[in-house]
Amino acid sequence: MKQHVHTSVIGSYPISITTQDLMNDYFAEQQTSWTQYIEQAVHDMTAAGITYISDGQTRDPFIQLFTRKLNGCRIRQRTEIIGRVEHHTPITVPDQIYTKRLLPRHVMLIGVLTGPYTLTKSSVDSFYHDEKQLAFDFAAALRKEAELLLKHVDLISIDEPVFSNELPEYANELIQTITKGLSRPTRLHVCGDVSGIIPQLVDMPVDILSHEFKASPHLFNVFQEYPCNRNMCIGSVRSDDAVVESVEDIVTHVNKAIAIFDKNVVQIAPDCGQRLLPRTIAFQKLKNLAVAGEILNGG
Amino acid sequence: MFSFTKEQTTYDISGISIGGQPGMYPTVLFGGLFFKGEPDFEDAKRHIQTSDERSKQTGVPVIPDFFIRKVEYIEPILSFIEKAIPKKHPFSIDIIEPSIKIQTLEQLASRKLLPRTIYNSIHIGMTKEENEALRTYTPEAAIIVAFNPKDKSPDGKIEVLENGAHLLETGLLELAHQIGIEKTLIDTAALAPGENSGAAIAALPVIKEEYGLPTGCAIHNVVEKSRWLNDFPFAKKTVDVASNNAIPLFGGDYAIFGPMENAELVVPLIAWQDILVSEYTENYFGISPVASHPRRKLLK
Repeated sequence: MKQHVHTSVIGSYPISITTQDLMNDYFAEQQTSWTQYIEQAVHDMTAAGITYISDGQTRDPFIQLFTRKLNGCRIRQRTEIIGRVEHHTPITVPDQIYTKRLLPRHVMLIGVLTGPYTLTKSSVDSFYHDEKQLAFDFAAALRKEAELLLKHVDLISIDEPVFSNELPEYANELIQTITKGLSRPTRLHVCGDVSGIIPQLVDMPVDILSHEFKASPHLFNVFQEYPCNRNMCIGSVRSDDAVVESVEDIVTHVNKAIAIFDKNVVQIAPDCGQRLLPRTIAFQKLKNLAVAGEILNGG
Repeated sequence: MFSFTKEQTTYDISGISIGGQPGMYPTVLFGGLFFKGEPDFEDAKRHIQTSDERSKQTGVPVIPDFFIRKVEYIEPILSFIEKAIPKKHPFSIDIIEPSIKIQTLEQLASRKLLPRTIYNSIHIGMTKEENEALRTYTPEAAIIVAFNPKDKSPDGKIEVLENGAHLLETGLLELAHQIGIEKTLIDTAALAPGENSGAAIAALPVIKEEYGLPTGCAIHNVVEKSRWLNDFPFAKKTVDVASNNAIPLFGGDYAIFGPMENAELVVPLIAWQDILVSEYTENYFGISPVASHPRRKLLK
């Protein structure tokens, strides 16, 4: 059977926001419009030839993107928890609906959720004083958001970078709170060095595992030690380095992954969100990723 | 009516005191001029004279707020300020376009007017060039507009003051501090109905309690955008004038109203409200009004 990999992004994309325009809207007493920034991000991802794209997460960093609209959260220097965390309004749904309208038919949309444990560890808790309860309330809120996203997206991706530093014993149950019974495929993205938690990761209740194999190539060796039949999204270009990987380099890297995971390599992507890269670099990396994808698929 | 636990800053801006605990100083009014059409200086002079008279009668200070829409208006408006505004009396310049702001700052400096200037305003849209101009030609005081396009609630306004809401590298307060502006007035950024318009009023006590800085807004802009009021032309003006009442009632220190011709109505209204606030805050919190307060001037 021929290999087929999809190209994907993880979440964020670097778009510069013109604050003068935002103020002009304010002075003209017009509602703030964010659509031009979504359009720019979507344009780059689709023009690069990526098949699974996001809305670019241009509104906010990935923590505030969610905590800004959840009950019980207050934004200061960090997010402060001042009451019970609850979902009360769609968070990312309106942007996803707008993004979907911009997409060619063959391009899929990812609904990206910042993971409950990452939200928990990034907040200052002045209410719960119980990390586990807070994490599960975040998970319940994200589950509601995921349910609202189902109609509009092709994949739900949970971004849990904190897992690579600290994996709670209830991590599996936490992720399951979001993913159980969802009618769309799910992906868990954990960047950083996950070599110490691979046995737990391979049991996670998601369809695809996503990790930063490019910045941490030793993960290939560690994964070889564990039998893993999970579908994989292989981080194939770095998100923390402005050097653009060549197409050949990406193909060689993904072939290493195929040698280990075989047909389970279903997606190739940047190692993480691209927010911190210059836009031209981020775009070129996606472009090379897309060309590499075509080569790997025999194109 | 209430008092803040946070110590409140009071600024003397060219002879006018602004800030402090509710009931201590009269609410300061900024009266807008030249928002529409060509600047009519005769008209403006008349309205400024009337507002001065009402101000003297009541004790409510009125600072003219000059809107400069075009480059060619800079020179005549600044010349008018030199001639028509009493020496040492402060005024504010209200400009949207950054290039006009920069040219106006240069001219204010050359006319030695900066010690009387309240710069309206600093906000997230400040350009690098405007920032540099402000460092060179630093006005006496500046209004900081706490508009956060991501979050229009009081929390969002604090976020943009505190850290720039990830739209700037630093918060607006730190930005003003880095420029060297020592007297900063917070504007809670009133928005149209449907855009959390009430948040501008709710944010007054929240921001005063957080920073202790003089805080106010242009709440009458919300009335301007309440299109349904066009069906009630008789009431619209009353609502426009009355909207300013909410500011001292919620602990705010200043109101930006417009046009200046409304001073005839707005000044006594605010004097009335200031008396109401002062009577309670002195009785309950022991905040004594200053000698120039409407309560001292009007209740003998």
